[in-house]
Amino acid sequence: MSAATAKRAPVKAGAVAASALAWTLLAAGSLLVMVPLAFMLGASLMPPAEIMKMPYDWIPKVPKWANYLQALAGNDGNWMYLRNILNSLIVSVTIATTTVILSSLVGYGLAKFEFRGKNAVFMGIMATMMIPFETVMIPLYLIIVRLRMQDSYLGLIAPFLMNAFGVFLMRQYLLTFPNEILDAARIDGCSEPRIFRSIVFANSGPAAATLAILAFRQQWDNLLWPLLVAQREEMKTIPAYIVKFAAEKSADEGAMMAVAAIASIPVFALFFTLSKYFLGGSAVYSAGKE
Amino acid sequence: MKGKRPARSLEKDRSRWGWAFVAPGILFFSLFSFYPILNAFYTSFLNKKLLSLKAPKFVGIDNYLRVLGSQDFWNSVKATALFAAGAFVPLFALSLLFAILVVSRKRFKRSLQMALYSPAVLSSAVAALIWLLIFDPRGLANQFANFVMGTPGIDHKWLADATMARVSTILVYVWKYVGYFTILFVTGIGKIPQSVNEAAVIDGAGPVQRFFRITLPLLKPTTVLVSVMILIQCLKTFSTQYLFTQRGAPLGPINVVTLNIYNTALRDQNLGRASVMSVLLFLFMLLLSWAQLRYSRSDEADL
Repeated sequence: MSAATAKRAPVKAGAVAASALAWTLLAAGSLLVMVPLAFMLGASLMPPAEIMKMPYDWIPKVPKWANYLQALAGNDGNWMYLRNILNSLIVSVTIATTTVILSSLVGYGLAKFEFRGKNAVFMGIMATMMIPFETVMIPLYLIIVRLRMQDSYLGLIAPFLMNAFGVFLMRQYLLTFPNEILDAARIDGCSEPRIFRSIVFANSGPAAATLAILAFRQQWDNLLWPLLVAQREEMKTIPAYIVKFAAEKSADEGAMMAVAAIASIPVFALFFTLSKYFLGGSAVYSAGKE
Repeated sequence: MKGKRPARSLEKDRSRWGWAFVAPGILFFSLFSFYPILNAFYTSFLNKKLLSLKAPKFVGIDNYLRVLGSQDFWNSVKATALFAAGAFVPLFALSLLFAILVVSRKRFKRSLQMALYSPAVLSSAVAALIWLLIFDPRGLANQFANFVMGTPGIDHKWLADATMARVSTILVYVWKYVGYFTILFVTGIGKIPQSVNEAAVIDGAGPVQRFFRITLPLLKPTTVLVSVMILIQCLKTFSTQYLFTQRGAPLGPINVVTLNIYNTALRDQNLGRASVMSVLLFLFMLLLSWAQLRYSRSDEADL
């Protein structure tokens, strides 16, 4: 532990100064990073005149909760944001669920079964990680058009039902799953689907949680795909709504920040309750790229 | 395989189940990854319009010549390169600095990481929306810049001026992702065996010496990985530029490749040329990933 060695070293004035400098830099960095977030929250409760006041006051004089009402009602008062929030929830939750289920199915097949061509299948799936979404979005869009799935949940969800990183993650996780348990279940006459469902899947908690959160966040953030597939207002998701709302000249700045704050509630709720999967998940994700 | 070799029929049965489990994967990736990438290559040789009922014509490398000969494309390359370069340096330097500082702390490690990471939690569209107001002529960015530089009342035209629009998009990006890459560096530093560092302390190496002689060389797999990840992320930037142009920022200086692909396909409905750019983007990213694999022969592929 570096902490222990530091403690043993004689305390010098230089070390104290270095520590003070480190703390100053870290505090300044963290504060600066949080400023725009504080701005979003503060401004979401202000009238436009107060947001654009010079010098800017960080705390709203009288909290204007009506901004949130207007954010939900929209500039034309058709409450489309509510519908689009619902869409985002449906799409993101569905994709998180299917990603976990399908990735563990395929990951299990690759980790625990021997069959000819297995390596080719694994390498093939891993190779798709190299394909940027931007390169395939037009062909994907044409597929969706041909299947007549524009402006539908199916169209929003289909290309993200699972992903190569998920397969990789579940395979790595399941490689360490004890074979003895699987074999014991087989000897007891347990069918393969049931072994997967009640033994393998039921025990893949941490990896599944990491993957579910990663998939949820990616979809919550997805702008390009809904922009292509969802032409009708009712089928848009939050990021697409934000773009539309911001582009309207009449948009009230306070309501804009309320839109932003509302859009951030679910991800921040996840972040605060399950932060280890966020921080750990990023690390795991990068490990997959190594 | 351990124990006795299972009977032949059992083995065959098991291999069938193996296929059954991976079948959804084969189906999915064939349809939604392999077919589209082949289709993108194929379409790049066609004269194809979006939603047109006319049969597309095969035009050979005509689209490639058109794209590579157009000023619009090279402007996008320039916009993307400037964005990537401008974001790379501060992202890399700041996240490495923060990671080293965080790791050296005894307390509040987790809180510091969470604070730095928090912008990465936001959607890109939300991030762009917040900064849209900050960059307003009457907004915080002007107030802050004028306060720091002692130039009261000057509008720096964050979204209106060509150069400033570039700077603004870079700022948003650095702000959003600095915490993310800090976490990656923290993880990388954590993998360095402490015994090496302790031995160096006993040998009387100072913190600066230890950083340059031990931490940095041993961190190489992470630095290479993070560098490539930053570059690939930057090449894929879209939301900030899209939202800013929707609010009236000049398109030219921030017309990054992804935005150009989107506009060429959706606004100009020219799928052939959009596909050419998609294919070039793909090949370039492939090159980057290949370089990363070459330079960081990492033997810790398993988690």
